[in-house]
Amino acid sequence: MYGWVGRLLRVNLTTGECRVEKLDPVMARDYIGARGLASKILYNEVDPQVDPLSPENKLIFMTGPLTGTSAISGSRYNVVTKSPLTGTIAASNSGGYFAGELKYAGYDGIIFEGKASEPVYLYIENDRVEIRPAGHVWGKTTHETEDILKSEAPAGAKVACIGPAGEKLVRFACVVNDKNRAAGRSGVGAVMGSKNLKAVVVRGTGGIKIADPEGFRQAVKAALEKIKNNPVTHGGLPDYGTAVLVNVINAHGAFPTRNFQTGVFPGAEKISGETLAATYLVRKKGCLACPIACGRATLVPEGPYAGHGEGPEYEAIWAMGADCGVDDLAAITKANYYANELGYDPITFGATLACAMELYEKGYLPAQDTELELEFGNARTLVEAARKVGYREGIGDLLAEGSYRLAERYGHPELSMSTKKQEYPAYDPRAIQGIGLNYATTNRGGCHVRGYTIASEVLGIPVQTDPLVTEGKAGLVKTFQDLTALVDSTGICLFVTFALGASDVVSMLAPATGIPYTEEAGMLAGERIFNLERLFNLAAGLTRADDTLAPRILQEPLPEGPAKGRVNRLDEMLDEYYRVRGWDEEGRPTEATKQRLGI
Amino acid sequence: MKVELFGFLQRATGCGRLELEAPTVRHLLEALVVRFGERLRGELFLPDGNLRPGFTILVNGRNIVFLKGLDTPLKPEDTVSLIPPAAGGQSHALCSYR
Amino acid sequence: MPKVLVVDPGKCTACRRCELACSFKHTGEFNPAAARLTVAAFLDEDYYLPVVCQHCDVPACQEVCPAGAISRDAKTGAVVINYERCIGCRMCVMACPFGGADYSISEKKVVKCDLCGGEPECVQNCVWGALEYKEPEGAAWSKRMDIARKVQASTREVL
Repeated sequence: MYGWVGRLLRVNLTTGECRVEKLDPVMARDYIGARGLASKILYNEVDPQVDPLSPENKLIFMTGPLTGTSAISGSRYNVVTKSPLTGTIAASNSGGYFAGELKYAGYDGIIFEGKASEPVYLYIENDRVEIRPAGHVWGKTTHETEDILKSEAPAGAKVACIGPAGEKLVRFACVVNDKNRAAGRSGVGAVMGSKNLKAVVVRGTGGIKIADPEGFRQAVKAALEKIKNNPVTHGGLPDYGTAVLVNVINAHGAFPTRNFQTGVFPGAEKISGETLAATYLVRKKGCLACPIACGRATLVPEGPYAGHGEGPEYEAIWAMGADCGVDDLAAITKANYYANELGYDPITFGATLACAMELYEKGYLPAQDTELELEFGNARTLVEAARKVGYREGIGDLLAEGSYRLAERYGHPELSMSTKKQEYPAYDPRAIQGIGLNYATTNRGGCHVRGYTIASEVLGIPVQTDPLVTEGKAGLVKTFQDLTALVDSTGICLFVTFALGASDVVSMLAPATGIPYTEEAGMLAGERIFNLERLFNLAAGLTRADDTLAPRILQEPLPEGPAKGRVNRLDEMLDEYYRVRGWDEEGRPTEATKQRLGI
Repeated sequence: MKVELFGFLQRATGCGRLELEAPTVRHLLEALVVRFGERLRGELFLPDGNLRPGFTILVNGRNIVFLKGLDTPLKPEDTVSLIPPAAGGQSHALCSYR
Repeated sequence: MPKVLVVDPGKCTACRRCELACSFKHTGEFNPAAARLTVAAFLDEDYYLPVVCQHCDVPACQEVCPAGAISRDAKTGAVVINYERCIGCRMCVMACPFGGADYSISEKKVVKCDLCGGEPECVQNCVWGALEYKEPEGAAWSKRMDIARKVQASTREVL
């Protein structure tokens, strides 16, 4: 095969059997790779009703046909499984160097089954595949684990692993590769921990074949020019990282503050991308094949929060900053280092801490239940909680369950700012209507990188739509969701879409694979993938009632700012969304839709 | 009125916030060009005098494309936010040191 | 004066597009292990340096080659291998202090940078200018300007 290596590795952790399988070319054509292909395999092989943390769940690492090539930002793989946070399908996307290395070793992906009887890691050196004991790295941070396991591997090896959070089954633990890149959301790291799988170490020295080398080279060259001429991909993102959005979203009154009690944060300037660039930023950093380089190598040189690592990026700054009322950038950066090193999602963590702070503020969470001072704005509490949650220590054990389970425990689930039990990221749907519909309908719960309508509603890409209007948002959300499913499945990064459209993506995908993907075929594949995820969730027991937003978002008007007095008007959008998706009134894909998509 | 500058405009002008008075957004931009130099004009406008694509201007958090564009009137109590295309700049000619 | 590959580690982002493009150009496949250059990325120390063949004025690889297979291309100035003469003894690999020559497992031969005949693919794929193909003079001038800017900035802070 071209683009794809054409081989999958199936590892049964219960029996210790490792088997190489051929990749089905028809399945690959229709579901492309990464998020799509892994979702198809999960859909085929796993009962959607399975307990996510049981051996019967599977954990799939999957690259795409453009991963490891010079396609723009072709660094990505997805970790797909059933989520212990949401109970839905989880697909978490990560960059770095790991995924390319897996393909150079000769595998498009790895399917993990069962559960090892004791901690193990998977070692891959081209055709040599071994399950090795991992007792010596169990309990270690992601950084320690990577250093130790690299010393047991040839030069150039790459590592993906879990930290203490994954081992302790923190419901939002992530899989971390190359130390600071993470398949971040929905708790895929907890599933890895439940299988006693600490890490995957891979070294590969083989090549990826391309169907039409000169056609591919030209397509990449043309796309690279667009990236270089775009002020976002060759200006804002590399200069300031994603945190350039802090001031922008705050100016729109859409920067959720103190658990979404308002949309304007007075301390925004102090935690902005501009401030980060002027203070702790050491240099920008790119993942494999990425000309954008939004990564932030940072250093807090002194003080109580001294440290060195990567990030924080926009969502993390928001969740651990404004959402908790914290305006201390050094503390946020330190907490972000903990998230990387202990291995968990800083969005869900920050939002859960914010929820705990509101429960505490309102007197629902009694002081005797926590050893930390949980008032909003306490930077010391943030950093302490960031450490404790990774080890499930003290109050960290409650936070490790995510905001929904925490708020439910104290009798106020409405104070969890989440959909399908996954916390919203950093855009208030009361000020930006379309993103609310996206939060309500993504297949992994509250999430921005499944249908980033912010691009259109705030940044004017590709066209400016009015953030306060619901009209036309159903179609907008569907288009963004399908395009994202396409991009995620090819193995390139979603951030390319600031400069590139579906036509540019297929212009690289077609010559790489030798399959004549058109823009329509690519978008159809994206729609197919989105619908397949939906079918998994419906079979898992989700219904229309789960396509909703937190009561606060639907009922409590924003108290100040440009969107003052507004709520999200989801009911004006949801039925139309179902219609444009070809779903029935209960949100189920109709037979005609399934037929059209070939599911 | 309060004027907020984001992204590279902060480095280009050496400030993030300032106070200026102008009757419309267009007049405000002209006043900024006067204050920070003619080179700022190239960062804000295309040669034909239109605002650079992707350049966002908010008045009290509302994008001026939903108001009266560059002719949106301004009151002394307004806040105007100037946002370069996702805060990235066309060039960095204005930045003294990067 | 022939152009050379000029490296500016301060501009490198460790994206390795150069390695990818190089291997694709020379082997037809994407395989960084077969690239003629390597980004030495010390990620823990935030230091990234693309390490490339220097096409030395007095190339150790050429001096040591017993088969006389290594010579300078008159057009590009690149130090190149003549595979009709190369006997695969790998003396050049041993002799080069920069790791400029290597034995490629996938191609089963000794390989090194040939500047792509004057249009280096690595340079075309580096959007930050960490790798440039240009005449070598002037490197110190821009460094001197850079340091002057830093002195200026720190003086401003003090005054």
